Amino acid sequence: MITYDAIVVGSGITGGWAAKELTEKGLRTLMIERGRDVVHRTDYITEHKPSWELPLRDARLSVGTKGAEEYPIQARTGQFRESNKHFFIKDKKNPYIEDKPFTWIQGDQVGGKSLIWGRQVYRWSDLDFEANLRDGHGVDWPIRYADIAPWYSYVERFIGVSGEKLGLTQLPDGEFQPPMEMNAGEKLVKAGIERAFPDRHVTIGRVAILTQPLNGRLPCHYCGPCERGCSTGSYFSTQASTLPAARATQRLTVLPNSIVHSVIYDASTNRVTGVRVVDTVTKQTQEYRARVVFLCASTLATTRLLLNSTSPRFPNGLANSSGVLGHYLMDHHFLAGAGGSIEGLLDHYYQGNRPNGIYVPRFRNLGDDASRRDYVRGFGYQGGAGRQGWGRGGGERGFGVELKRKLHDPGQWSMGMTGFGECLPREDNYVELSDQKDEFGIPLLKIHCTWGDNELAMRKDMAASAGEMLEAAGCKNVHTYDAYRGSGQLGAEPGFAIHEMGTARMGRDPKTSVLNAYNQAHDVPNLFVTDGACMASSSCVNPSITYMALTARACDHAVEELKRGNL
Amino acid sequence: MEHDDLITRREALSRVAILLGGAISAPTLAGALDAATRRAWTTPSRDWAPRTLDAGQLELVATMADHIVPQTDTPGARAAGVHRFVDTLLSDHYPTPERDRFVAGLADVDARARSGHGKTFVECTADQQVALLTELDEAAFPAVRIDSPRTSDTWFFRRMKELTLVGYYTSQVGATQELHPSPFGAYRGDIPYGSVGRAWS
Repeated sequence: MITYDAIVVGSGITGGWAAKELTEKGLRTLMIERGRDVVHRTDYITEHKPSWELPLRDARLSVGTKGAEEYPIQARTGQFRESNKHFFIKDKKNPYIEDKPFTWIQGDQVGGKSLIWGRQVYRWSDLDFEANLRDGHGVDWPIRYADIAPWYSYVERFIGVSGEKLGLTQLPDGEFQPPMEMNAGEKLVKAGIERAFPDRHVTIGRVAILTQPLNGRLPCHYCGPCERGCSTGSYFSTQASTLPAARATQRLTVLPNSIVHSVIYDASTNRVTGVRVVDTVTKQTQEYRARVVFLCASTLATTRLLLNSTSPRFPNGLANSSGVLGHYLMDHHFLAGAGGSIEGLLDHYYQGNRPNGIYVPRFRNLGDDASRRDYVRGFGYQGGAGRQGWGRGGGERGFGVELKRKLHDPGQWSMGMTGFGECLPREDNYVELSDQKDEFGIPLLKIHCTWGDNELAMRKDMAASAGEMLEAAGCKNVHTYDAYRGSGQLGAEPGFAIHEMGTARMGRDPKTSVLNAYNQAHDVPNLFVTDGACMASSSCVNPSITYMALTARACDHAVEELKRGNL
Repeated sequence: MEHDDLITRREALSRVAILLGGAISAPTLAGALDAATRRAWTTPSRDWAPRTLDAGQLELVATMADHIVPQTDTPGARAAGVHRFVDTLLSDHYPTPERDRFVAGLADVDARARSGHGKTFVECTADQQVALLTELDEAAFPAVRIDSPRTSDTWFFRRMKELTLVGYYTSQVGATQELHPSPFGAYRGDIPYGSVGRAWS
């Protein structure tokens, strides 16, 4: 039996943070990763490869195409391409069951999805933390903005966030590096929207991408496709940021190619004592012990692991005396918005592939009468403007010298915006273990999740308001869209936003929640869950920085409790 | 997929990429690579052979592609190896039904050439070839927009045109001679177009 002070399951955004915090606070820590190792720089095998070196010219590998055979789920997302497929999970080896379509995008490697994430980072506000209490959906969060604000600052200073301060209550400012610049089209649309709607703001995206050097990492060089990996460490990833920090303590052990089968529970002490691990190459089982266990395996993988960790005390899953484990699954609903063209500005252009767009903070249901709508919660927009490229030639008549001359210049400007909407926590959106098992002997997850009336009502406003704003800004050919098709068809079904969260929620009452205000299991004091599974509501902003802040805060609490002898 | 064309898909994805705050997948900079790597791609491979198309079909693709993007002061589609790209895509990416549909489209082009001129497309004069492609182009992109122009009759030409543009502008010739990649370094959100003078590849 190999014993550590702490075990962290998972090496992505939260696993990396837990490893960094726990090792820096003196704990000998084992970080266990289901997938292969990915070495910073060395394993970014497509980074800076020119298009002609990629045989398919970086084709999107959609479902049914050759090259996507082992990835029938991952291929549903537009992010899945020839140049980055090696950072996505092979679905054929890692199946799950969809009751209704739920697209579960996963990255099983050291670094997890931190290598391929969207990098947008926005603080939650009390509008979010008080939402459940205010409208009665879900249970009240056990924390408020004041509890997490210092931890947001702590995280932002370490990961590096570029952005613009706005002074808005609903989208608190953070510790920002200088913002990236908007392009001419975005500046024009921003001016038009803010003139027509004084309560709406257009800002450059707040991103975990450096515009100034930080801790040996270099500012962004604007090559474009971050998700191939970044040798200059310009965007936050485990490899660029938390892993080097954890390694520097010499207290970290990383164990790749190892899937945790279950967490071991000792009823006599009411503590978890370690984990049972299957080597994914040899299929051999090994147990590891520790004084404290952090689950950071990603929302649904963590809950699957808890559900599979049964004992006479917890026959329905570890730390599940409440019975809510697996329930209240959420994702953001998106792909409803508008697009349009911008006239003129043909003497304006830009240089560099900026891996960022614009953001419109939430302006609905802020607590005043004017912003109230017939649904609850709200949405923000992400978007951007650009000039059409050579691809436009494929949609118009003409060929030959004339076409080639035309495509020598960029085309007209266009602008697009898509909403990211909050999803309500509903008990009937849930996951459970099925009777089938994978090759490691772990039952497959079965996912039940659909949008409800509130999400569908909000989507109408997401599309219509985007159209209204682009019209007001003077855009032409404005068209609204909503990719949701319903009836179990793919389009904008849950999972697509890759913001799945909930299923082991935090709360004040052990009878209705799994975790307390410190992400500590109500039932088992030395068990912590700090990935997206912990979320009690979803807000409408991208969630990763909140997971990071909660993780750092939970680690601080865990180490204090260890010192006090309480764990 | 059958009723979905490549450019539309690519543009939709680019749009989504912008919307998501991501970059349009950008062909990156030749200057970032070492000399040996660059020599490796510019040296024609002696052992390259098509895997889906036969020699006649390959020549047909190269001929059509070179009419769509001809040589000007920069090389055209044939010199950029668009026909090789098309064969690679058909072999390694297309689902079998879509591949077969494309190959059938090639046969149809030859059938049209035979019925009009008694020769294969490649055997026709350049003027005859351009006239045939003009017919296909006008059918695929009617001057007056109609609600559903995407009939199966025009699928092949639209796809051929798209593959030519993708193959050309993502080739080394298209991306670095005809157009230029955006250089690495600073991001400049608003520069005079005249200071660049051509679209970024």
